[in-house]
Amino acid sequence: MLLEMKDISVSYGKVSAVRDISISVPEGGIVTIIGGNGAGKTTTLRAMSGMVPLTSGEIHFNGDRVDGLSSDKVVARGIAHVPEGRRIFPDMTVEENLRTGAFLRRDKDAVENVLETVFGRFPRLRERRRQMAKTMSGGEQQMLAIGRALMSAPKLLLMDEPSMGLAPVIVEEIAQIIEEINAQGLSVVLVEQNAELALELADHAYVLETGNMALEGPANELHDNDHVRAAYLGI
Amino acid sequence: MLDLLAQTGLNAVYAASYISLIAVGLVLIFGVMGVVNFAHGELYMAGAYAVVLLYTDFQIPFFLAVAVGMMFVGCLGLAMERALFRPLRDNPLGGLVASIGFLMILQSLAVMGFGVRMEHIPPVTQHVIEFSERVRLPLSRLFVIVAAVVLLSALWIFLKKTRFGWALRAAAQDPEAAALQGISINQTARIAMFIGAGLAGIAGAMTAPLVSVNPHMGHSVIVTAFIVIIVGGVGSLEGAIVASVAYAFVHTFVTTFFDGVIADITGLSLMLLVLIVKPTGLFGSADRA
Repeated sequence: MLLEMKDISVSYGKVSAVRDISISVPEGGIVTIIGGNGAGKTTTLRAMSGMVPLTSGEIHFNGDRVDGLSSDKVVARGIAHVPEGRRIFPDMTVEENLRTGAFLRRDKDAVENVLETVFGRFPRLRERRRQMAKTMSGGEQQMLAIGRALMSAPKLLLMDEPSMGLAPVIVEEIAQIIEEINAQGLSVVLVEQNAELALELADHAYVLETGNMALEGPANELHDNDHVRAAYLGI
Repeated sequence: MLDLLAQTGLNAVYAASYISLIAVGLVLIFGVMGVVNFAHGELYMAGAYAVVLLYTDFQIPFFLAVAVGMMFVGCLGLAMERALFRPLRDNPLGGLVASIGFLMILQSLAVMGFGVRMEHIPPVTQHVIEFSERVRLPLSRLFVIVAAVVLLSALWIFLKKTRFGWALRAAAQDPEAAALQGISINQTARIAMFIGAGLAGIAGAMTAPLVSVNPHMGHSVIVTAFIVIIVGGVGSLEGAIVASVAYAFVHTFVTTFFDGVIADITGLSLMLLVLIVKPTGLFGSADRA
């Protein structure tokens, strides 16, 4: 397993957000975490990146224990995070945003190469490389956020609600990009409210309900599960 | 009349130079760390006293004393970051209160070390550049102007062209997203504090022979700096520079043609006017204010 989350719990003050969550991400896989508002999906993802401290449990990545590390150290281990709401740097240009994603990489040639790869994958970003990031559309900003995460050449990509607030045609485009980068060997953890999309993309799925793990299994099996169909797919 | 206008203009450029050094540092610290550093005026004071000690008492060459003073105040900034602002990172009001406490400590240390008297610093140079009989620029004022232009340009290039400059801007715009790019928030805080404090320190050190150096000299400077960063837009470095120049011109001209109290009133009134017309300041954006 590339990433192994064992029985983790997170609390905000006295309020418990998630309890005893275990998630495994195999090398090269796409794993999704679905669930309603406030189910603890984002908290689980933030815990993987060291953005919130665990109250109990362990996280292992690539054989090393990574819980307790600060976010910037987690990135150095090879986990990139595309945060909810994209969180691009609004007053920096597209290119500056991307280069910031490669902050930890000292090898200039490698950075130029990965920048070319990202521009190749997102031609819109190349066209707008000197434009301020805040002037771009939501879909373009999402692509910038993904491109920025790819700049660190991660082994694992965490994506929090990449489809949020985007038009269906753009969501389709984002889904295609996720499949492409996964096909090139990058493992993905996808948090989504759009369960239909998530189950279509993922190999394995976890369902969170009010901070507890309700269900898990292969994505196609969960897609046919009666409870999932009723609660998340609206069928 | 033309002579008087030119002379007042030169005086304003000099005032704009040291005000912008102080204001830009204050904005940088606020932008990157989210802390209002009330002790910023005392960092300026510390820079001036470094010159008193090194140049006046120990007779070290002036520019060496200035350089050492700048480094010393920069390190004072590092100490503040480590001891005060880092433990209080999740508590911006706590950082503000701690900086007020630190202000009093620095003032008291200056009083204990040097007394409440005004320091007399021998002039660095008596040389005066004469543009005409009534338009003159003392060389020591030109030094301050050159220092401000050089340092602020260097800061600009650092922020726009270097990896750590980008890290600083990223951390100022979204600290959490910056950490997700591998940028250490402790490191950006240290850099911002060192630069911000160092700029205040060099402003104090360079102007020490030109102003009255006393333990409470930071007070008037911090008030001016706050007016400037509010007018410029809190968090905007460009705004701080533009507002420093604008404020210095207005204040200097009103002082020359009316008097100093009216100049202070005018400065504050302009700040109120800006707050009414554009509450985010001239260059500020709503989400960062």
